[in-house]
Amino acid sequence: MSSTKIITVIAALATGIALGLVYGWVVSPVEYVDVTPDVLREDYRVDYVLMTAEAYQNDFDADAAAHRIAMLGSAAPSTIVSSALEYAKLNNFTEDEILALQNLLTAMQTYQPGENPAP
Amino acid sequence: MTQLVRNSAFHFILALLIGFGAGLAYSWLISPVSYVDATPALLRADFKDQYRIAIAASYASNQDLPRAQARLNLLGDADPISALSAQAQRMLAEGEAFENARPLAQLATDLQRGYVSEPFTPTPYPTFSTPEVDSTPTATDARIQVSEEATFTPPPTIFFEQTPLFTPTQEGTLEPRPTFTPTAGPGAPFILTSQETVCDNAKSKLMQFVLLSSRREQIPGVEIIVTWDQGEDRFFTGFKPELGNGYADFVMEADTVYNIRIVTGGAFVTDVRAPECTDPNGVDYPGGILLTFQQP
Repeated sequence: MSSTKIITVIAALATGIALGLVYGWVVSPVEYVDVTPDVLREDYRVDYVLMTAEAYQNDFDADAAAHRIAMLGSAAPSTIVSSALEYAKLNNFTEDEILALQNLLTAMQTYQPGENPAP
Repeated sequence: MTQLVRNSAFHFILALLIGFGAGLAYSWLISPVSYVDATPALLRADFKDQYRIAIAASYASNQDLPRAQARLNLLGDADPISALSAQAQRMLAEGEAFENARPLAQLATDLQRGYVSEPFTPTPYPTFSTPEVDSTPTATDARIQVSEEATFTPPPTIFFEQTPLFTPTQEGTLEPRPTFTPTAGPGAPFILTSQETVCDNAKSKLMQFVLLSSRREQIPGVEIIVTWDQGEDRFFTGFKPELGNGYADFVMEADTVYNIRIVTGGAFVTDVRAPECTDPNGVDYPGGILLTFQQP
């Protein structure tokens, strides 16, 4: 095989790879349909934590709140709530919402699995 | 064939295809597009269930129906109300307590009605405040003042004065205590107000319940127990909000006698069975029955 042929084959191979990558990453990327909550966009994650905080204001069930927050990943519930609180402060959440998140953060910082403190 | 293998165009196309396949394998299998900003609509079904529970629990706290509706829309359910009802029924079928399923049913009911059905009474929330500690202590001049003459203050003497246990007074005017006026509340008893035979093939053997308040408003969340000689079934009103918030139903077997108990209020109806109906062709079939209960 002549060198020209080898160069042609290599060029064709490279072009094929490039086309394959473009097709697989841009034209028809892998579609996710059953994702886990840890890949939710940040505002949705914060809203989920806020929902948990609002529910906690009603039932004061720290155990249920910790279980709900655990859905968002393996980080400690207090860490997740703390991040949500920071986001809420930066994005002009209402005072009530921030207070709810602060109270949930306090509850999660003192939470021991299995407890269900009464208010 | 040999000539084909020697052909440059063949080599080019073959290399192109191999390259394309390799690129595709890399982009789909080895390093696919990673998802980082997913929406709740893409969540797995069990996580969607968790999401709905959080929405309903939050709604139970803040009674903000438009917000709950907006949050439910994020999940991309074709019919959010049916999804809530179905999840509540699933939870009950799996043996979870009614209290856990209640927020879902309540939210479904309120979405169906379009307004908040339970008046919102905010729970006083305990506020936690962490005392701020000054990290740089400063010396103060305040010192404990010690006087040279110590004085002794005797403890107070305990003094008992016996008071009579009951002192009848003639002077006081006795005011009549307010009379208790019974009003129908959530736990008021239900009375069977009507029992209708439903001769409709679509509702054959269907035992339907409608539970009404004294104001004839349908009441969700009322537990009903149906018993027969070989079993028992328990269910609640309000899990089919499209048919009414106080609606529930049960499929009977022909030639079986049922007893019905409304748990809240204790109404008891015996000897209920599927009635005989006749279709236009003269063929007999077991019909349905519609039982209406109402609080007095």
